[in-house]
Amino acid sequence: MLEINNLSKIYGEGENKVKALDNVSLSIEQGEVVLIVGSSGSGKSTLLNMIGLLDQPTNGKIFIDGTNTTTLDDNEISSFRNKKLGFIFQFSNLLTDLSVLENVLLPREIEGTNNTAEKDARDLLKTVGLEDQMYKRANKISGGQAQRVAIARGLINKPSIVLADEPTGNLDSVSSETIVQLMKSMAKKLNQTFIIVTHEKEIFGDVDRVITIKDGKAFEGDQPSKMEVLA
Amino acid sequence: MDYRLRLAKRMLFNKKSSLIGAVLAVTIGILVIHVNFVIFQGLFDAIVRDISDYRNGDILVTDDADYIDKSDLSLVNWFERIPYVEAATPRLSSTAEINMTKNGMRFEETRIPIVGVDPFRDIRASTVHETVSEGNYVFSRNSVVLGSNVAKDLGGAQVGDSVKVKVVDRWGEDQIRRFTVSGIAKSPGGQGFDYTAVVHIDTLRDMMSRPGDTSSLMVKLNDPSKAFEVKEFFLRSFPNDDFLAETIEESAEQQLAGFRSGIAMINMIGYFGMGSSAFAILTIQIMLVNGKTKEIGIMRAIGAKRKDILLIFIFQGMIIGAIGAGVGTAAGLSYTVYADVTKMSFNNSLPLEVTYNWEKIIQTALTSFALAIIASLYPSYRATKKLPVEAMRTV
Repeated sequence: MLEINNLSKIYGEGENKVKALDNVSLSIEQGEVVLIVGSSGSGKSTLLNMIGLLDQPTNGKIFIDGTNTTTLDDNEISSFRNKKLGFIFQFSNLLTDLSVLENVLLPREIEGTNNTAEKDARDLLKTVGLEDQMYKRANKISGGQAQRVAIARGLINKPSIVLADEPTGNLDSVSSETIVQLMKSMAKKLNQTFIIVTHEKEIFGDVDRVITIKDGKAFEGDQPSKMEVLA
Repeated sequence: MDYRLRLAKRMLFNKKSSLIGAVLAVTIGILVIHVNFVIFQGLFDAIVRDISDYRNGDILVTDDADYIDKSDLSLVNWFERIPYVEAATPRLSSTAEINMTKNGMRFEETRIPIVGVDPFRDIRASTVHETVSEGNYVFSRNSVVLGSNVAKDLGGAQVGDSVKVKVVDRWGEDQIRRFTVSGIAKSPGGQGFDYTAVVHIDTLRDMMSRPGDTSSLMVKLNDPSKAFEVKEFFLRSFPNDDFLAETIEESAEQQLAGFRSGIAMINMIGYFGMGSSAFAILTIQIMLVNGKTKEIGIMRAIGAKRKDILLIFIFQGMIIGAIGAGVGTAAGLSYTVYADVTKMSFNNSLPLEVTYNWEKIIQTALTSFALAIIASLYPSYRATKKLPVEAMRTV
């Protein structure tokens, strides 16, 4: 489902050159919940941006559902992101000009298939417990609620992978716990792949896999003594 | 509703100050054009109207070299058989010396334009008789209507006063005749007969020793748009005479040329105003795009293509243009209606000729609408160039 081969990302040139990712290779299967951990600046968000096709790698290939995403042009990348990837960001990143329901509907409207869109969006909002908030403007709900809306938006197009970048980074402990449980239950219920970048591994409890990024390299597991380099 | 249009609308309406600013820019641009049109085109049209009503008609027939010696009656009858012609009237022009003695003092004015009219025909083809504010129009062979300025220069001539008029005849001899002032003509705008004396055409013919001669034939149409057609028909019908026939645009060209270029300059200023409005929209749109950088990044991240982003901001330009064109046209039309209803006048004298030029009104509205869209192109293009990762980092 996701296969990364020899992925490198270098920022800058000459003396200012910084290797954010160094020859990373890994694969993730359908339905897995994978945590990507590491210290600040280790390259975990860079890796997530590469998988999410938000940034271009310097070298290497990324295959999602068998498609080599590094060869896609800009329009194809947009369509691919829309259909195959869901995003949950640290600050929820909802469009404040739209209502909760409209935010959830937006990926489907961009895709252009609207037949069951509204019903699906309502169902998802019900699942995340926000059926009574759907007509509120997105800036009128709490941070925890906004993050739940972001989860619903990330799932509306039934993507292959949901990418979450510090989804609990901006929430209190109660809301964080709710979001974590929600993601895990959705992963189980929908057999949905989640790749989650986080600083707070502990609140996620048991997950399928943990990948640690250190100095641009990826390692399986999170125990330094037992880590296996993924290359 | 298309999600891009909905987003464009929401983004714009949630930034009310920007929306109001942009709409005002378009509105002011259109209003400037409308006000310019009402005042300057109204003034121009008022002058054309007065020249046409008082002096030249819709068609002015003269002789290429000298006086028209063909019977004025036959020419008038020829014209009045054409359905487009309302009336035609002959006129004879010269200059005169007028003097008057009042309260023991003698007042004399030289080089006064004098016009001979056929009073019964003239009142059908011209509105000069309506400018006679005191007394009556020329009604007998020995009556004269003095322009208000002539009357003033003659020491305040009044209806009933007796004046002496001296004209040089075709043989160079002075011909003097006494007239009774039957009326004083006063018209706003200076195109009337305020500086002229008006007498009966037959009397003037006698004085000038030009029996049957006519300086010009003034033809008034019931449909002025047919002037060229009638003029051409006339010239074709009298190929062997030395007639010169001109439409009002042609005959008044010399008087109007300066004004015409003035109007062109004023219009240019109006269009510069519209250009400034477009620049204001461009600035506001750039601010809107910069203010929505994060949203652009989010939309790109969830799959919006560059063309979708482009469309959202072009739709914003269209909304600004549509509202601005609507409000601006409504404001401009309100001003036009106000000018029309209040009989707005220039310098408190010449009533403006207020017209509703729908072609120009629609053209102005569409131009503003198009300019708003054109002004949105660059900001929209800039919006498409934002990279999702960098855009989403914007707070």
